[in-house]
Amino acid sequence: MGMHIVKRENLPLWQKVCLYVGAVAAALLLGAVLLLAIGVDPIAYYNRMFTLGTVGNPIAYKVYANYLADLVPLVLTSLALSLAFKMKFWNIGGEGQFIMGALATAVVAIKLGGVLPTAVVLILMCLAAMVAAGIYGLIVAALKVKFGTNETLLTLMLNYVALYLLTYLMETKVPWNFLLDPTAVRPVPQSFDKMVKFPSIPLVGKFSLNVCVIFVVLIGLLIHVYLRRTKQGYEISVVGDSAGTARYAGMKVGPIVLRTVFLSACLIGLAAAFKVGSTGILSTTITEDVGWTGIIVAWLAQLNTWAIFLVSALVCVLHYGSTVAAATFAQVDSSFANMLQGVILFLVLAADFFTRFRVVMVKKGGSDHGNG
Amino acid sequence: MKKILALVMAMVLVLGLVACGETGAAGSNEEGLSAQTLKVGAIYINSKNDTAGYTFAHHSGITAAMKELGMDTEKQLFIVDEVPEKKDDVLAAVDTLVGNGVNIIFGISFGYIDAMEEAAAEYPNVIFSHGTGYKSNETNFNNYFGRAYQARYLAGIAAGLKSLELGNNNVGYVAAHTTDYAETASGINGFALGVQAANPNAKIYVKNLNNWADEVNEKAYAEELINSYNCGVISQHCDSAQPQIAAQTAGVFGCGYNSDMTPDAPKAHLTAAIWNWNVYYRTAMEAAIKAGTADKFVATMGTSAYYGGLKEGFVDVSPLSENCAENTDKAIKAVKELIISGEWDVFTGVKLEIAADGTVTQKDAALESNGFQHKDGDFKVPMENVEVVAAGGASVEDGVITGTMNYLVAGVEEV
Repeated sequence: MGMHIVKRENLPLWQKVCLYVGAVAAALLLGAVLLLAIGVDPIAYYNRMFTLGTVGNPIAYKVYANYLADLVPLVLTSLALSLAFKMKFWNIGGEGQFIMGALATAVVAIKLGGVLPTAVVLILMCLAAMVAAGIYGLIVAALKVKFGTNETLLTLMLNYVALYLLTYLMETKVPWNFLLDPTAVRPVPQSFDKMVKFPSIPLVGKFSLNVCVIFVVLIGLLIHVYLRRTKQGYEISVVGDSAGTARYAGMKVGPIVLRTVFLSACLIGLAAAFKVGSTGILSTTITEDVGWTGIIVAWLAQLNTWAIFLVSALVCVLHYGSTVAAATFAQVDSSFANMLQGVILFLVLAADFFTRFRVVMVKKGGSDHGNG
Repeated sequence: MKKILALVMAMVLVLGLVACGETGAAGSNEEGLSAQTLKVGAIYINSKNDTAGYTFAHHSGITAAMKELGMDTEKQLFIVDEVPEKKDDVLAAVDTLVGNGVNIIFGISFGYIDAMEEAAAEYPNVIFSHGTGYKSNETNFNNYFGRAYQARYLAGIAAGLKSLELGNNNVGYVAAHTTDYAETASGINGFALGVQAANPNAKIYVKNLNNWADEVNEKAYAEELINSYNCGVISQHCDSAQPQIAAQTAGVFGCGYNSDMTPDAPKAHLTAAIWNWNVYYRTAMEAAIKAGTADKFVATMGTSAYYGGLKEGFVDVSPLSENCAENTDKAIKAVKELIISGEWDVFTGVKLEIAADGTVTQKDAALESNGFQHKDGDFKVPMENVEVVAAGGASVEDGVITGTMNYLVAGVEEV
């Protein structure tokens, strides 16, 4: 007996949903066993986790604000990645592009904050971030178009170039380094939230909504229209299906790749601008791994624009809820919470695999393909 | 597609509604705190389940203090761990803890400083207490640290007497950082002065790891100090016991840090400068209970910058091992008494001379640097005036020891 993996066509929606729900249930069950083993009541733990600790919380409004602050960069990065992925350009460089965008944002904010009107500075921060990240992505696209280099490897490696550049700037306390606080004895990042920051709109009670949330929803709409209703969006899907077909149809594949990757990286830069512009400070861990998580989200959402919103929201519940629940239970540290998150994501990805493929047992020496 | 969109919208609505429902409950001011009602929050840089190192030392201190006060560490302690030194992460951790209704929050890592300051202003009903920092306010925000240099001076005496016994004047020191941090510079200086009190001819060679925790280099640097600089005693300011283990392997001796490292290197270890964090945590929790409301915390503590030393039992040396030279115990006891009574302190214009029989005498002598200071990223900026304290002069100010000490004393060389 041997195994073959066969592509699955058109699994009914209810079966897909069953697979996903089953995977989450299996993961939670597995987690429950582990929780019981260390003496934690799983129901109480999950209750805390999925309500994000809002029950009986005097400052629940803060939880929503923090949750949305985590969500905004993840949604936008996932949306951006989905553009490139649609074209089968494997942009693994979300982290690096995010960092470049974050650096550009901070430079503009520190140099121009308080000099120009806040609204102008915020726009310039976004533009600078988009250009910086966009060019960082464009380098790889250009190399691929010109020399046929592998974009997966290049974007991956450029992540580390960006990360070490950021680390160097965050740890090198010298007079020219304006990214660090000049008044601190130790290397502390310069904070600029007093000078320039994305505003929040007061809504209900003490809860106010960061304007970036609204922007991201609008960007989601635009991307939806762009992909479904424009020529450029159509070109992306054709190139993604087959570059040969696209060429045959008279499309200029090179420029399409360059344009789309630039746009993808630009949006990741914008995500960084939203993040840095909302927290008002840079740090070596500014990305919170959205460049990586974004890949999982985009994949799970099957590159569907609105599904990305939903999957991001759920992944953030998982992420934020884990931290909150770990605080309440003495036995659970954040490593355990991370492991539980990993188990859930892993099983959901496995379920995802089975919605796309099925495993077929074949007899050894079978003549399916003639040369067994 | 519309279904999914509808789902998202529904979720937003639900979140919004819950938000409305919950805000009404804000601001639960419990009058009259007691050990049974006090809720403690903590923000850690590493895992709360660590079994060694910095976070472990603090976690042990907090839980020990709570047990001393008869508190329940499962129900009254809330921890967010593995929080990087990043403002928004720290603020989110504070929100989580405040959401659990804690009365006091301890943040143990230096980089939490700005977030702690901001949070203290945002939540005036909660006490914020920041370890190793220097910011504070007059009501609900203080900082705490200890005179580790005093403990290091005592360990230095053990090392100095050992170097005399060995007939080898070279002493090594593996340092996380050197003159770029006052904490590390004052540690090196305290230790060096202790060594010199016992052995005036001693030379202290320091190697800079440029990292708070780096087990591989902690070992390699100790080996280099032993092999290339012929050091017979190895001291350290780093997380792991690797330098002590390296000393034992090479057949030399050493002084550890943070915890008693005799079990790690029984044939090499003399004594370690240690912290008793529970001393501060108990003091702070008692003050929080006594103050009743957060705004009276600093007034109840009496200071916004707690800086305990040997006197409070906040720092100490671990029990001397059998490897120590003769009369080490006697000398350390005598010096400890001088410091605890307030008669003498390390960074003054008075030097101690420790005779081979362990007797201690005082002598006026200037405190001098080795001629270099750290400035703007440069470790070797020459100092115009090497005399830091004139002979007979009073101690360097606490603010210098915790914040701006950027030089090493004479007899110390960075290699």
